[in-house]
Amino acid sequence: MVLKLHGVSFSTCTRTVAVVAKELNVPYELVNVDFAKGEHKSPAFTAVQPFGQVPYIDDDGFKLFESRAIARYLAKKYAGQGTKLIPTDPKEEAIFEQGVSIESSNFYPSAIGFGIEKVFKPMRGLTPDEARAEEHLKTLASKLDAYDVLLGKQKYVGGNEITLADLFHLSYGQLLVQAGQADLFESRPNVARWWKEISTRPSWLAVKDAA
Amino acid sequence: MVLKLYGYPTSTCTLRVAVTLKEKNVPFEFIPVDLVGGQHKTPAFTANQPFGQVPYIVEDDGFQMYESRAIARYIAAKYAGVGEQLIPKDLRESAIFEQGASIELTDYEPFVSGLAWENKFTQMYGGTKDEKRAESLLATWRSKLDAYDKILGQQKYIGGNKITLADLFHLPYGSVLLGIGIDEFSSRPNVARWWNDITSRPSWQAIKDGL
Repeated sequence: MVLKLHGVSFSTCTRTVAVVAKELNVPYELVNVDFAKGEHKSPAFTAVQPFGQVPYIDDDGFKLFESRAIARYLAKKYAGQGTKLIPTDPKEEAIFEQGVSIESSNFYPSAIGFGIEKVFKPMRGLTPDEARAEEHLKTLASKLDAYDVLLGKQKYVGGNEITLADLFHLSYGQLLVQAGQADLFESRPNVARWWKEISTRPSWLAVKDAA
Repeated sequence: MVLKLYGYPTSTCTLRVAVTLKEKNVPFEFIPVDLVGGQHKTPAFTANQPFGQVPYIVEDDGFQMYESRAIARYIAAKYAGVGEQLIPKDLRESAIFEQGASIELTDYEPFVSGLAWENKFTQMYGGTKDEKRAESLLATWRSKLDAYDKILGQQKYIGGNKITLADLFHLPYGSVLLGIGIDEFSSRPNVARWWNDITSRPSWQAIKDGL
């Protein structure tokens, strides 16, 4: 039975799972969750995902949520095919974990914070909190300065090969670009090189507008 | 020569690493970093941690890394044969562990760290509490913990039926909030049971008041 990805085609987290599935050559079926109708808050949905969030997967009856967990599960299950996304050497794996943690602690919070103010709120007809958006932008700028140092010493965020750590940046990075902040990447030489490489991978091009 | 842990005695992230080292009985040398004096922003420090954060570790052979959750994962993998299996090996069990680890990161950390900042740390650094933000964080965190209570009614720990890193990662901030009178655990029966369980572990008791 083909992997079922329950989510929303343009959702950041749903596309994170989709790009990983593409890298691994794992086919999947996107099962749309109807946000407009509040499906994600329905008892049937929250029985599977108690936080009422997308996505979750149904792998032949095995259900899992949290996009980064799903990504790791797929990378582990399909380790023998597609791109190797989690290193097996202990020290390389440690640097990979460092990279994954860098994304979730030093990139994601301000990237999503900015995206909420300047992309999602306007989409819903709400007024952005400009002060908060500015704060997030300032944080991102200083974080990406550190990224530029890191990416001057190693090719990718998780080491010298592409890993999940890089792929986890794509959806939120694209949000920033959508919000007119491409310069965050482009003005920093090592970050620019890295962002260009990962955001032009066929796996991402296949899903960046729709999972 | 033992593992060197560079950090701050009561820093949440430093304690996250310390509790893992204690679980695995790994001897270590704690080297305090002068955060108040800005040591973490000096070039000598940022050469080791480009984001200017604590902690980081340096091993005997010169291997170094940062990001507390990554360090914990590295230690858990390196000493997998000692004490509790803090990261399951079985594919599905490891997936549920990763789900729990991701829950901690996205449904707990942003709220507890925000609440700790507004209610405690901002004043320590001469700032003022943002009442609206604190209120909003508390409201969201409460709804997240309602979901935790559901999950912990179905499985013993946040990452499955055995203790894992996912549980340990919750300890530092949960304790900070309890220390300033914010107790959202006691009123939720399954959360309360789980919290009592994980806080009573000798590894946490040994270091909970600081290094």
